[in-house]
Amino acid sequence: MSVMTTAAGAPAQRRPRVRAIEGQEIALIGVVGLLWVVLSLATDTFLTTGNLQNILFTVAPIALVGIGMTAVIVTAGIDVSVGSQAAVVMVVVALTVRDSGLPFVAAVAVAVVVGLVLGAVNGLLVAYGGIHPIIVTFGTLNIYRFVALQIFGTEQVAGVPATLAPIGGGMEGRLLGVPTAWWLTLVLAAGMWCYMRYWATGRHLYAVGGDAFAARLAGVRVRRRQISAYVLTGACVGLAACVLIGSGGLVQQNVGTGLELRVIAAVVIGGTSIIGGRGTVLGTLLGALLVGTVSSAVTLLSWPSELAQLFIGLFILVAVGVDLLRERRRSAR
Amino acid sequence: MTELETVPAPERTRGEGLAARVLRIGLTERVVLLAVLLVVVVVWFRVLGAGGYLVAPYDLRYLGNALESMVPFALLAVAELFVIVSGRGGIDLSVGAIVSLAGMAFGFMVGVWGWPLLPSILGCIVVGALLGAVNGALVAYVRFPALIATLATYYAYSSLALISNANAPISTPPVVALHSLTRNVDLPAPLPPVPLHVFTILLPCAVLAWVVMSRSTYGRSLYAVGTNDIAAAYATQSVARTRFTAFVLSGLLSGVVAVVTVGQFASARPDAGIVGNGMALPAITVAVLGGVAIQGGIGRVGGVLVAALLVTWLNAGMLLAFPEGAEGSRYQLLALGLVLVLSALLNTIALRRYGRLS
Repeated sequence: MSVMTTAAGAPAQRRPRVRAIEGQEIALIGVVGLLWVVLSLATDTFLTTGNLQNILFTVAPIALVGIGMTAVIVTAGIDVSVGSQAAVVMVVVALTVRDSGLPFVAAVAVAVVVGLVLGAVNGLLVAYGGIHPIIVTFGTLNIYRFVALQIFGTEQVAGVPATLAPIGGGMEGRLLGVPTAWWLTLVLAAGMWCYMRYWATGRHLYAVGGDAFAARLAGVRVRRRQISAYVLTGACVGLAACVLIGSGGLVQQNVGTGLELRVIAAVVIGGTSIIGGRGTVLGTLLGALLVGTVSSAVTLLSWPSELAQLFIGLFILVAVGVDLLRERRRSAR
Repeated sequence: MTELETVPAPERTRGEGLAARVLRIGLTERVVLLAVLLVVVVVWFRVLGAGGYLVAPYDLRYLGNALESMVPFALLAVAELFVIVSGRGGIDLSVGAIVSLAGMAFGFMVGVWGWPLLPSILGCIVVGALLGAVNGALVAYVRFPALIATLATYYAYSSLALISNANAPISTPPVVALHSLTRNVDLPAPLPPVPLHVFTILLPCAVLAWVVMSRSTYGRSLYAVGTNDIAAAYATQSVARTRFTAFVLSGLLSGVVAVVTVGQFASARPDAGIVGNGMALPAITVAVLGGVAIQGGIGRVGGVLVAALLVTWLNAGMLLAFPEGAEGSRYQLLALGLVLVLSALLNTIALRRYGRLS
């Protein structure tokens, strides 16, 4: 996170070509696969269409936000305000859908635009304010929550119509038996994966995270890349908020609290380095799946639901610990 | 930061106009700025009160009462001070979870196992220190980034706190009796009644923290490590152990806060430190407002304490100005966020312009 760490780290070696899949991702696929096998043997309820659909649907918002968060963390930033951003988007969309009867496409557009604006505020403060990203987004976490509560007024938003059901969790929100929210996540993740891997500006995200000063000297527009990462996160939050509203009903005032921690957990478990410069969207997707599977497993095994958090904490420690060991071996070589 | 500044700051005092001097002192001497702001806040709310805009008088008695909510945040902000000053992205997100878990342990000791009070308090603080030691070992020896290590332990500790008593608070009679720890005490005439734990807990902890930071070898070492850990290592400082101790101290203070919150609620609540946005965020905000630079190596106990007092009295005033429903606490969120971002901006400007910040 400091200049020092990057200076003391191993010099980047020019590899003949970038591997399509990292070691950590293979390990994650193994862990998720193993969990699924064990759970399907241990319980009758895990390997049912309903349960799998449910897991994929609950994972979708975390993975969606995770796509943007991966870009942010790769640039050595962090965004802890996503939960409050989601709250603002949800209350705005819920109110407009209910009171002015917006159609589906317009509602999604409103959500994305509101998300973009909130993300842009974070990005501008980080890029031009010279403030550490965690301080900026801790601040906006409070400010956005205030904005959301102010729009809520005194009560929750009840009777939201099912305008957004096509990407919600109900029967309508499925395509080929898989929740459309998950399709949306997959398509976006694939796009982002290609962008961060093959496009010049996508590679620049890694350069900014590796060493912002060197990147600037090499002609990378550092501030622009930083802002773009936060703006992208805002847009992703907009989409995730639509998924969360889903088939409508009630939008409560505490929506989105704690979302940031689940998303950061998914990103970190997916092998993205918190000090920047390394990480992929594929890993984030797998990390989100692991988090979702664990939460579902704890419920199915009828353990206390709070135990899921303990496992998430342990998974973060193991994932980052293994990564640290590999890094140390790499630099010792 | 007296002896440490061997490199003298550029001579700017001579030939500098009054306005420039005021600006320099305001930006670099954080305690002065905060003291001015504190006076402004108190006078402003007094004026609002005189004009009839407040629902209750913003008087000495009210300010004295408000100190009750200052104690946890002031102590946790000092905890963050130790950790953030230790440098290399030092931060402790798990303080709220430690408060919850140590508080539950305290609840079990007093309320279920029937231990006497003093050993229980000691036990609670030891539990806090041990939980902090786990963070410290992960960060200092295994070299996890502090953000990740404490995020993981935040999850783990809060989960354990919730599971420990099946998500239920412990409020047996011995625990309820602990409320007397936080009762108000009457002071001589002009002074208002003040919560007891301001004297029994906050002041001793503050003095001890000041001694550790400013008058002990450990404190010197901590500033050195936080400023530049490679240089500190060459200067024969044990970098890892210094960082480890910072996290242990943070956990220890969280254990103290656990005792306070159990007393305030008259019940050991498993979600005491993690409900809503939790306790870590306000603590970090107060620390940054108090002049702790997130890069490490900079920050003083005095600044943090004055910042805690400022935030407390500002919050207390807003509760009177916005009485309807949850409006007051909503504006507190706004103020907390704005104050955090603005004070960080101030820190950046001060560092850029004068190259130092006290």
